[in-house]
Amino acid sequence: MKIRKLLFVTKFEELGYDALKTLLSLRKSDLEHIVFLYVIERDQVAMRRGLGYQKNEAVRLKEAANIRFIDWAERLFEQGMEVGVYIQVGSLAAEVAKAVRKEEADLVVIGRSQKTAMEQFYSGSTVIELIRRLSVPVLVYKPVSESPFVTGTPFQRPLIATDWSPASLRAVDYLLELKPLIEEIRLVHMVDEGAIEGSSVMNAQKTRKDVKERLEEICGRFISAGIAARSHVYVGDPEEEIEKAAKECQATVVVLGSSSKNLWVERWVGSTPRAVAEKSAFPTLLIPPVME
Amino acid sequence: MAKKVLVVDDDPDVRLFNTTVLEENGYLPLEAENGEEGLRMIRAEKPDLVILDVLMPRQSGIRLYRELKTNAALKDLKVMILSGIGQKTFLRSQQALTEFGENPVPEPEFYIEKPVDADVLAATIKKAIG
Repeated sequence: MKIRKLLFVTKFEELGYDALKTLLSLRKSDLEHIVFLYVIERDQVAMRRGLGYQKNEAVRLKEAANIRFIDWAERLFEQGMEVGVYIQVGSLAAEVAKAVRKEEADLVVIGRSQKTAMEQFYSGSTVIELIRRLSVPVLVYKPVSESPFVTGTPFQRPLIATDWSPASLRAVDYLLELKPLIEEIRLVHMVDEGAIEGSSVMNAQKTRKDVKERLEEICGRFISAGIAARSHVYVGDPEEEIEKAAKECQATVVVLGSSSKNLWVERWVGSTPRAVAEKSAFPTLLIPPVME
Repeated sequence: MAKKVLVVDDDPDVRLFNTTVLEENGYLPLEAENGEEGLRMIRAEKPDLVILDVLMPRQSGIRLYRELKTNAALKDLKVMILSGIGQKTFLRSQQALTEFGENPVPEPEFYIEKPVDADVLAATIKKAIG
């Protein structure tokens, strides 16, 4: 699970060269190739009532993107990086999946979704659509200026929020590969309030102790690999508690296993990974389960 | 027999422009979409000249150029870079790779920055392979 090739999906407004620069710290690990992807959504250039396909507009958008990418590519080439570009008309999730397959990318970086709640309800969440189609991790990048709590490079102080799912345990293997970038890892588990409600003090303490033991076992793997790691137990709503933990630990990225809920349950009920990816002030790395 | 020229560029419009210029000037054009496909075609077709873009998916022209110039069997193949990426960047990039421990490569004999005029392209091809 090394990160050799990164797919950087941008519409320029939400994810610029400054974001890319912070990700170049991944070169200390294995990063050697960055591929840019700009997707012109079909509704920007096609199927407008009375207008049909607006080829000139598509060409204009493609050329504007190409000029930006040439500028970025020149800076990266000069540092000895390998760079590639895709500029496509289509749907974002489908084009990202295609590019990941063609390039065999190890990590996808996207900006925070710009869709409104209603748009998300009807068309689905971009993040969730992506994670469903991909077998590689997705980093939902949030700029430092938007997150007053985040300082440092994205993988400097990761916070892994584990629910013991296969995907969240896979996150452990993933971060072990990023050792040269990591200063310290914090591992947290959110205990459901219902699990301790009405139980005796002893039972509540036993729950905490059991969880802590499981967390310490995972911390042991990091410590054996030479990475500093500490564990914490939180109680309450996972979305709120993860945000709290990330602030308290001064995390630079929140790492979560992605949800295994089906599409409709996801759309109606939502999920913690989706909520954190879309609402948290912290960059969020979503690790998918192993695809069968 | 017409000389073979391989155009390696991910942009179909650029490939169409280049192959048209080549055909009109009596050459046999071949096409590849990226560096990897380009290398396969170079080995299979043994062209007289490669017109190479830099910024492409899968493998960039910087990498392909380096592979050609460090391969004993391919290093004498004529290469013309035709790209939106500036010549200075190309040279700095090759220098950076050499500094990281890779073998040094010579500067490309022919470098044209896009956009290119059809007459300039034809004249440069003629200068390269006659």
